[in-house]
Amino acid sequence: MLQIDHLYKNYGKFQAVKDLTLHVPEGDLFGFVGPNGAGKTTTIRMVCGLMRPTAGGIKINGMNALTKQKEIRKQIGYVPDFFGVYDNLKVKEYMDFYGSMYRMDSKEIERISGDLLELVNLSDKKEVFVDTLSRGMKQRLCVARALIHNPALLVLDEPNSGLDPRARVEMKELLLNLKSMGKTIVISSHILSELSEMCNSIGIMDNGSLVAAGTIEDVMESVFGNDQLIITLESGRETAVRIASEYAGVKVQSVGEHEIKLSHTMTKKEIAKMIGTMIAQDVVVTGFHKQEGNLETLFMRVTEGDAGSEGNACLKGGLENAVESDS
Amino acid sequence: MRLNPIVKKDVRVQSRSIKISFGVFAYELILALVFFFAMYLIQQENMYLYDNIYSSLVALYPALALTQFMILGLIVPVRTASSISGERERQTFDIMMTTGMTPFSVVTGKVMTAIVQSMLFIAASLPIMALSFVVGGMSWSYLFWFFAVALLISFFSASIGILCSSLCKKSVSAVIMSYGFYLIFFIGTVLPPVFYRVYYFNIMYGNNFSGSRYSYGENIYLTFLLNPAVYLAEFFSEVMTGESLFDSFNGVSSSGMRGPVGLVTTGHNWIIVSTILFLAVSVLFLFLAARRIDPARGRMERRKAKKRA
Repeated sequence: MLQIDHLYKNYGKFQAVKDLTLHVPEGDLFGFVGPNGAGKTTTIRMVCGLMRPTAGGIKINGMNALTKQKEIRKQIGYVPDFFGVYDNLKVKEYMDFYGSMYRMDSKEIERISGDLLELVNLSDKKEVFVDTLSRGMKQRLCVARALIHNPALLVLDEPNSGLDPRARVEMKELLLNLKSMGKTIVISSHILSELSEMCNSIGIMDNGSLVAAGTIEDVMESVFGNDQLIITLESGRETAVRIASEYAGVKVQSVGEHEIKLSHTMTKKEIAKMIGTMIAQDVVVTGFHKQEGNLETLFMRVTEGDAGSEGNACLKGGLENAVESDS
Repeated sequence: MRLNPIVKKDVRVQSRSIKISFGVFAYELILALVFFFAMYLIQQENMYLYDNIYSSLVALYPALALTQFMILGLIVPVRTASSISGERERQTFDIMMTTGMTPFSVVTGKVMTAIVQSMLFIAASLPIMALSFVVGGMSWSYLFWFFAVALLISFFSASIGILCSSLCKKSVSAVIMSYGFYLIFFIGTVLPPVFYRVYYFNIMYGNNFSGSRYSYGENIYLTFLLNPAVYLAEFFSEVMTGESLFDSFNGVSSSGMRGPVGLVTTGHNWIIVSTILFLAVSVLFLFLAARRIDPARGRMERRKAKKRA
């Protein structure tokens, strides 16, 4: 759906975006993560045709976004990080205005905007003036507005900034709803916990470069390396440690009173076999689970600057693999 | 024909604002004051004369029309200068530029809104304007010419405003720049003939005078074709007296040669050529404004991008 190839954006000598290559497949909910000034908004603006890249290419649905702007605009729905509304304009008139900008006829606009307002839970606000809506409602209206022409790609730049917790939950539900409808969504956000719940793939930008991209699982694995397994047990701790140590590629990291933490390279079958052996040898295993790093830890690890340059180098290798596997 | 969505939206939004009602009220008030002041002056002038006062009331038409042209010339740039920059300040501009609207249709939409608004003011002024026809003994065709010139002034002023709006990020700077553009048209077009006259007289009364070298000197007056004040003076002269201000040139330069000034000053040519020039400059400004707001910045860049791709 969205293919970015070796994208650069320079402001004089400053490089805001450096050699960005990215592929977002159709139906994906892609999260763009990065610290302030990382180049996320610049990239999003270039994708939406609001800024010309210094070099590189952007393709949306196979069309060159730099040369076929008119066609591309019909393919994109854009929700900026901050936007204003017109005074003295009602919700339905707001939708009608943007619908007519895509040369849709009034009957079509009325039908689609009715459906969209229902989707964003604003159908009872049709006759209300837009400037009287709350920030959360305005944000949802803006999403409805961005969908009026049924775009293939929805791009949202920090849609949750400035929203209260309730509005955030509503926005998250709306985006998940859109994802289930098969829309391709690119979203940039600082709220990592929400992104990890919504997105199936992410891209982490730092200093204008993409330092990690791919499915959340792939990126986690490339950052945190070997999987970690936590086994909780009631008794037979020593036996369990002995059995675990006998397996190749297993390293006991810590042993607690009722918990053993392992790092391993085993397959699921091998894990099952090991647990089975422990139970057979009278170890009372009460449970076991995989220890996963979360997006916050991942983000901090990847964007920690020079201290994390070793980790970044390792990530870039992972990233190249992810890009290759995508394409 | 499909109405530009920007016009529809802007007219709807503005008509709901109380500002428009106050604007029309102020407009009518100024016209009424001008009308009464002009009537007072005419009455004072004719107090001790035995001529028919009605022949003097003809002057009400240029007084009221000129007042309206001046008001339009002042308010239209203010409204259009804040149109694009206002969208930027309101942070609705980016959204607009990602829709199906081309930059040129955005610009024309804003200009058309300004023209529609001007027409609202003109229509609201009709009752007062009609007084000059009732008591002024004017032909109704004058009203048509008045509308035509008001339309031209609105279009020209709007195109200046929209260009400045596309150049400036802040509405205030755009408004100031618009009036700067006005100065260029009002004063800048007068300066070349003034400098020429000074230079000409220096040479003429100096030692190096040679008549034949300056035969086409009147060509310098062609800059007046883009002077709004000269345009209005010529318009009122044509309407009121049926004669051109430039009849004194009579198509012949002071040295007896017939130059371009002569061609455009014959008959009604001046007003026609000047109108065409004002329209051309306005359209040029609109194209420049559209190019300026286009994120892809013109065909050249798009071609380069195509090559790179």
